[in-house]
Amino acid sequence: MSLSQSYKPNYFSIEDILVTQERVPCKFLINVPKLGKLNPATEDLDIKPGTILELPMWLAEPISSGRQPLISIDLPRSYKETHREILKADAVAVDLHKFGINFYELGLYVKHLDPTGEVLKVLLHTFQSRFRLLMDLTENVGSDPTVQNRLDMLERMLFKSGHAARMRLDTWLRKSDLPMEAAAMVVNHKKRKRIDLEDLFKK
Amino acid sequence: MFGDSAYTLIKELDRNPGTLPPYNNELVGEVKKEICHLVQQNHADSMANDESILGENGTNYFPTIRARHAGVQRNLRCLLAYHYNRVKCLRTMRWEFGSILPPDIKANLSSIETNWFSKYSSMLAKYMRSISEDGGLNLTVDLNPPKALYIEVKCLVDYGQYELSDGSVLLLKENSRHFLPRNECEDLIRQGVFQHIVT
Amino acid sequence: MNESEEINISNEVNSDESDSDELILTAAQVIQIMEEAWSNEKFAPEILPHKYEIVECILGQISHVEENLSNLINDDLRRSIHQMELDRLRYLVSSYLRTRLEKIEAFVCCILKEEDERASRNKLSYLSPSELEFAKAYRDGLDQHFTDTLKLLPAEILNNKIWQNEIITPNLDAFVFAKAKSQIEGVMIERDEEFVDLEKGSQVIISYSNISNLITNDKVSLI
Repeated sequence: MSLSQSYKPNYFSIEDILVTQERVPCKFLINVPKLGKLNPATEDLDIKPGTILELPMWLAEPISSGRQPLISIDLPRSYKETHREILKADAVAVDLHKFGINFYELGLYVKHLDPTGEVLKVLLHTFQSRFRLLMDLTENVGSDPTVQNRLDMLERMLFKSGHAARMRLDTWLRKSDLPMEAAAMVVNHKKRKRIDLEDLFKK
Repeated sequence: MFGDSAYTLIKELDRNPGTLPPYNNELVGEVKKEICHLVQQNHADSMANDESILGENGTNYFPTIRARHAGVQRNLRCLLAYHYNRVKCLRTMRWEFGSILPPDIKANLSSIETNWFSKYSSMLAKYMRSISEDGGLNLTVDLNPPKALYIEVKCLVDYGQYELSDGSVLLLKENSRHFLPRNECEDLIRQGVFQHIVT
Repeated sequence: MNESEEINISNEVNSDESDSDELILTAAQVIQIMEEAWSNEKFAPEILPHKYEIVECILGQISHVEENLSNLINDDLRRSIHQMELDRLRYLVSSYLRTRLEKIEAFVCCILKEEDERASRNKLSYLSPSELEFAKAYRDGLDQHFTDTLKLLPAEILNNKIWQNEIITPNLDAFVFAKAKSQIEGVMIERDEEFVDLEKGSQVIISYSNISNLITNDKVSLI
């Protein structure tokens, strides 16, 4: 059983580091000397006000706040009204992976850019409507493995843990006696050794 | 762009869940170098800033410094996350492999990590010894609720001789089957020597 | 459960040690407490007050019975039956202590901070003495590890020790299954400012933060 950690991503979280690497559209408000190399489109030494660039969230967030923000962040496309309408109409039919591989997690970072609160509503609505789909998928184990392709990372994680729980329940119901198993890392280690050996033979 | 090497470092862990990829000394060094570089540049520019406040048309480097500072913080976060998550993986290895790691895994550790591992091993051993008055309690066994005293196991490798706690000696050959007390088998099952046969 | 009860129970068992028939009856109570502590610890997101007296007591009983068993011949049926029971008990205690250790490691800074606060207000410690010692050693080990790996970075960064401020906390809002051990009135559901009453023996799915104090007061157990 894994421990339940705070919903707020922690400092050491690999997932959160991956999420904050995603780029968001930004517009520079003031001149930033010497950092022209952030913009691959020009040879200029400085970044001029008005420049539009996509920056990773980890950089965009801290420099868009404070008394004198360097940039203003624009809402990424997937969270804008046209996309919101699609989600409101039928969230289940959407290939969420195409909307963004970290649709929910990145949504939490950009939701405050929308003063109407619509983004937050759509995030909730999308999750709630798709949750049933997710439950169905985990119940129907052994079916098409490509079902995962249409899920965002958070959904995939839920799918995996739901699927694993389902399998364990099945085994338990059938046998009620789970065999003791080799430690997960030991199994991994052996598999990798076998692959290494196979490589060796091929050569 | 700054922060890219640090991201590669984290990607490497993300691609290898449940295993420990070789310690990437080179990339760690690069990220550290980048941090030093950014800090130096910020020092220089903040000095220039102080001077230019006196003049009329001096450049304001403060925005640049802020952006670089964000880069330093990002690099630092990735570095710490890289090492933290590797330590967590090592911790699990202590529980699954025991205090002696297979040589090919050991080769993937940095010397500082090897240090941490032996320190962790000894603090865990000390804790387990302190649990009860007579000799302690080994927490790395009894991982499943026991269902039977004796279990059937199949030996997966040519292990050789194995001594049971009552002193009798078994010869463990590949594919041989044994009916043994559960508590004598658990360690060997965890290490992948035995397979537990459930009928 | 309060302190006096705990000591009481372990005394009872200790005084019965000489008579092994009596022992099984009173030991049943101890085991029941242990089982409950185990499932509470397993399902609560945060670490709970330790039950070290109970653990000690059970481990003492295990080695006591084991000693007696070694006097029996190998194929005595009684030996198998007792051995099975001992194995189950040892699993219970090990699993309980393992769960605590896992929490201590994952939330080490958070737990030590809370322990400090408890100590400064003269409240009972949640960690047993050896757990506390382990927690400190673990934290120091991690601290040393980060300091060593970051060597060669500018002093202003190293001295900051930013990792010490980045504390990983348990998710106290996690949902748990709880069972009321007695009639409880007016459990507050924070966000909705609603109150519910729990009948004795009734079961609810509820956010842990709403009932955490009821677990330490022994009013509900987690299942």
